[in-house]
Amino acid sequence: MNELLPWLRLIGQRKARLFVGAVLMLATLLSGLGLLALSGWFITATALAGILMAAGTAIIFDVYVPGGGIRAFALTRTVGRYLERVYNHDTVLRLLADIRVHVFRSLAASKSQFRDRGSDWLARMTTDVDAMDTLFLRLVAPTGLAALLSLGLVGILGAGAGFDFALVIAVFLISAFLTATIALYWRTGARSYRQQDALETLRGDVIEYLEGQAELTAAGVVPSHREKLLANTEQWSQNQSIIDQRSGWHGAISMLFVNGSVVAALWLGLHLFQTDVISGPVMVLIPLALLAMNEVYGMLPDAYARLGATIAAAQRLNRDSGYPSAAATEGSARSIIEDSAAMSAPALAWSGVTINKLAAVGVKSDPAAADQMPPGFSYAVRPGKHVGFVGPSGCGKSTLANIAAGLSAPGAGRCQLESEQGVVAPCAHHAWVSYLTQTTHLFDDTLGNNLRIADPNASDQQLLSVLETVALTDLLAQLPEGLDTWLGAYGKQVSGGEARRIALARALLRDTGLIILDEPFTGLDETTRTVVRDRMSPWLAGKTVICFAHSPAALTQVDTVVTLERLH
Amino acid sequence: MAKTTHGASRLDAARWLRSQTAGSRKLVTRTIAAGLLAGLFTILQMGLLAWIIHAAVILDNSAMSLLPFFVGLVLAITGRSLAQGFQARSAALCSHTIRQNIRIELLSRWQALGPVRLLDTSAGTLAREWVEHVEALHGYFARFMPQQILCIAVPLMIVIVVAWLDWLAAIFLIISAPLIPLFMALVGMGAEKLNQEHFQLIGRLSGHFLDRIRGLTTLQLFGQTRAAAETIHTRSHQYRRVTMRMLKVAFLSSAVLEFFSSVAIAVVAMYVGFGLLGYLSFGPAPELTLFSGLFILLLAPEFFQPLRLLSQHYHDRASALGATEEILRRLESDPESVNSKYAFEEHPDEPPPAATVATEERIVIQSAHVAFPNGRVGLDSVSLVINRGEAIALTGPSGGGKTTFLHLLAGFLRPCQGFVRVFGYPAGEQRFGWLGQSAFMVQGSWADNLRVTCPDATDGMIESALQAAGLGDLLTSRSGGIHSLVSEAGGGLSGGQARRLGLARLFLADVDLILLDEPTAALDAESERFVLASLQRLSTQGKTLVFATHHPSLLGLATRVIRIDGGRILNE
Repeated sequence: MNELLPWLRLIGQRKARLFVGAVLMLATLLSGLGLLALSGWFITATALAGILMAAGTAIIFDVYVPGGGIRAFALTRTVGRYLERVYNHDTVLRLLADIRVHVFRSLAASKSQFRDRGSDWLARMTTDVDAMDTLFLRLVAPTGLAALLSLGLVGILGAGAGFDFALVIAVFLISAFLTATIALYWRTGARSYRQQDALETLRGDVIEYLEGQAELTAAGVVPSHREKLLANTEQWSQNQSIIDQRSGWHGAISMLFVNGSVVAALWLGLHLFQTDVISGPVMVLIPLALLAMNEVYGMLPDAYARLGATIAAAQRLNRDSGYPSAAATEGSARSIIEDSAAMSAPALAWSGVTINKLAAVGVKSDPAAADQMPPGFSYAVRPGKHVGFVGPSGCGKSTLANIAAGLSAPGAGRCQLESEQGVVAPCAHHAWVSYLTQTTHLFDDTLGNNLRIADPNASDQQLLSVLETVALTDLLAQLPEGLDTWLGAYGKQVSGGEARRIALARALLRDTGLIILDEPFTGLDETTRTVVRDRMSPWLAGKTVICFAHSPAALTQVDTVVTLERLH
Repeated sequence: MAKTTHGASRLDAARWLRSQTAGSRKLVTRTIAAGLLAGLFTILQMGLLAWIIHAAVILDNSAMSLLPFFVGLVLAITGRSLAQGFQARSAALCSHTIRQNIRIELLSRWQALGPVRLLDTSAGTLAREWVEHVEALHGYFARFMPQQILCIAVPLMIVIVVAWLDWLAAIFLIISAPLIPLFMALVGMGAEKLNQEHFQLIGRLSGHFLDRIRGLTTLQLFGQTRAAAETIHTRSHQYRRVTMRMLKVAFLSSAVLEFFSSVAIAVVAMYVGFGLLGYLSFGPAPELTLFSGLFILLLAPEFFQPLRLLSQHYHDRASALGATEEILRRLESDPESVNSKYAFEEHPDEPPPAATVATEERIVIQSAHVAFPNGRVGLDSVSLVINRGEAIALTGPSGGGKTTFLHLLAGFLRPCQGFVRVFGYPAGEQRFGWLGQSAFMVQGSWADNLRVTCPDATDGMIESALQAAGLGDLLTSRSGGIHSLVSEAGGGLSGGQARRLGLARLFLADVDLILLDEPTAALDAESERFVLASLQRLSTQGKTLVFATHHPSLLGLATRVIRIDGGRILNE
């Protein structure tokens, strides 16, 4: 349960809204309860009055006050329900905004653990975030309201109909409450907690089954694997079904207890009525009010059958976002890094960095780095030098680049960035580095905004000039709204080569002393590559440049080419 | 145009969903029966409640004399809860069974497509269909579908009882009921229209957060995370405002329901009250008693309850339809290509090759013609005889038909003309060795990875197979040997190591024929050496090898080099 605490706390920051939302829900529920109870009271009272009148007794029965009450309840229930839904969904969306910002900040502050996760992780995180933003509407509010309404009713009964009466009803309602909440959680929690992880395993199994089809078919073992897959799915689905069934049964039994309280109230009320403690209409009012409690109790089982899964979701989010330490330290650590993009060309040296037993062969310059070389990869780049690293795919080029940019830490050894002012701490590397990663990520945003990520204050003129460097002037001319054209899923779909060049332009635009380019020309044809390579030179002048590529032809203009090879 | 096809596929999806229940009639019937029973018990409960109150208040019966009715009431509420519990149980089981059946159907579909055409679609997409999309049908089968029937049947039962009590009240209920779906439809259409207007904006805004998470590394590199957090805040609130504009309309439909059910209670209460007071002299009003009046009042909310549930479950239907369209696309995608599995039977005039000694020692491909669903010719009347123990290298330009030829020998593709016999059997009927271009690995240990295809291999056999494939050094560096996890070191295996893992599987397999597609493509020098040595070794063991390659050393290893271009064998 502790996993939910940070989220409850976050949600709790909107106390006033939550309170108003809960009051609206309460008003709606009370209207429903009042409508049924008052109507029952009214019918009974009119029946008694009608008999008296038929018997010739002259009585005045005021139909207007209860009639007005019934109409008012009918109206407030309708309006209340509508307002409650609108208001509370607005709250949920506000909470969603809060939670997204919180998750994003935490992820940004927690270093790199999430970096390699794929789209499945993203999809799962979205579901997890959704589980948090409905925490109030699904779980907290119904639980609180059920408890509050039950307490209120029991309290009124205690005052009006005596302690024993209230006690009996309290026992029934408490049983109903526990059945629909804690008991249900107790019976489904562990199962529901495991379901999402089990689903991921299942997905992995399916993917392995599919990717291995050819080999499995060849080996003649498809049927056995197929059976195993079906059995695993059956197991998973069975667990889900058990959760659903238990939720259904607990809901039904909870209803039985509420209805039981109705019967008990009628039985006890009958005795009070026959000893003239309460009037006939009041005797009717109490069970009918209790009957209306089914509505609020009916909301509980669903949330509690899911509670295990909700806790698991919270746990994953807490883990991914490194709560709470990361969020706390974020402000101070960030501010230093973000504000100083450093200008002078620094030196960079990997020493004894181990990744997949990679070695640099063909190192012809920088012999200074060769003495006292520890095992692993070592290489030093002097300030202002342009060095190209060439090696086959999978030999660790991108890892070296990540380490240099301070995105990941080496398994052993270290990577040191040294500026004129001294050694830069690994966590501050990226203030000195402009890094074009191997994978291109363009944002669903305008072309201009995509470029301005590198330099928010860049003028349109600067943007045009950098786009010309990467030979995208033609593309720009085609775009209907120029720099303001939206890119991505909801706008202009750019080709892989164009996207690569936009990313390259973005990396050039950021004015830092060190530029790291990982396969800068992916997806570019020979001619474009040559053009871009030539035009880039002025942008790279005076800076330290490190370029990684699979072949020398794919490098930028460099002073030295280092060939990388995997030892094993 | 696009709109009509969309509408049509929706219709198909709805029809298909309904047809899926055919195999689980019993459970469906049970679910609905339990729901009806719950409705009956509800009516009984309300009737007994009304009667007890009537007897006590009007007839002055003593509590003790009403005891049988109380017993009946307790039975009624127990019955109601039991019926409701059973309904939930049958619904869960029903949905479970149907979904499992759909999964089996998808599996057969995958099977029918064969390994080649199957992976035209990425494994991730197929897995998502199999896991998520089928799961999205749950709400439809468990909740929406039974409720569709119950929302008519239960109100009907109630209306009959009310009509028996007081036909005027029944008429009021009957009039209001059809109005509800009408109003809901009107409001729903309004919401739909708004939805379409805002579709792009909503898509843009809701995708924004994920997009920034995906690009978080980029944002960090450019020191823009704080600014991005600001935009996430702004965009999320923009999204909220647009969504709320839509929800304000959409929620009107539930308000309509709420309005009718509230008004029904109020009107019934007023009508009964005035009737009991003797103010109403028309219709059945003078006959009203406390029993009938109270009974009608208690039934009024129950009349609307099934409809409210249906509208709550309506989104289950929407998500099920969306998922169904995807599933149907897979299930109905041109089931039998030109290269049908049954193509053999369609050409009975083929010479049935007798299992003579000659064919048992040979692989015979005779005038095999392969065409793809898109009409492209893969192989054009190819004939070749391969003797047991040969090592055949296939060369030629990419797209020339090398891989298709391997697929033909593997039985992944069937010729639409001609035939293939592998040592006397149809292609693919007997086990063979396969090493594709993409590496296949499973989560787990080295031993697990070899036992995927050779479940009976002993630890010793696994160890020597891995040694033979040149993975011995890697194994000794792992503490658990063959029982250590393949991806223990974090990054998993390199392309070359994964290829060698595939080779190890071949060493382990007791097969006569081994097919390899570009076994040395994109390999580092060291892995390449091991692949060459391994193939040499397999060849000397007497296995028949057929491999597509450009690699000079591999060509040198071959007993025969066959050049395939444009779907034809150019030399022999």
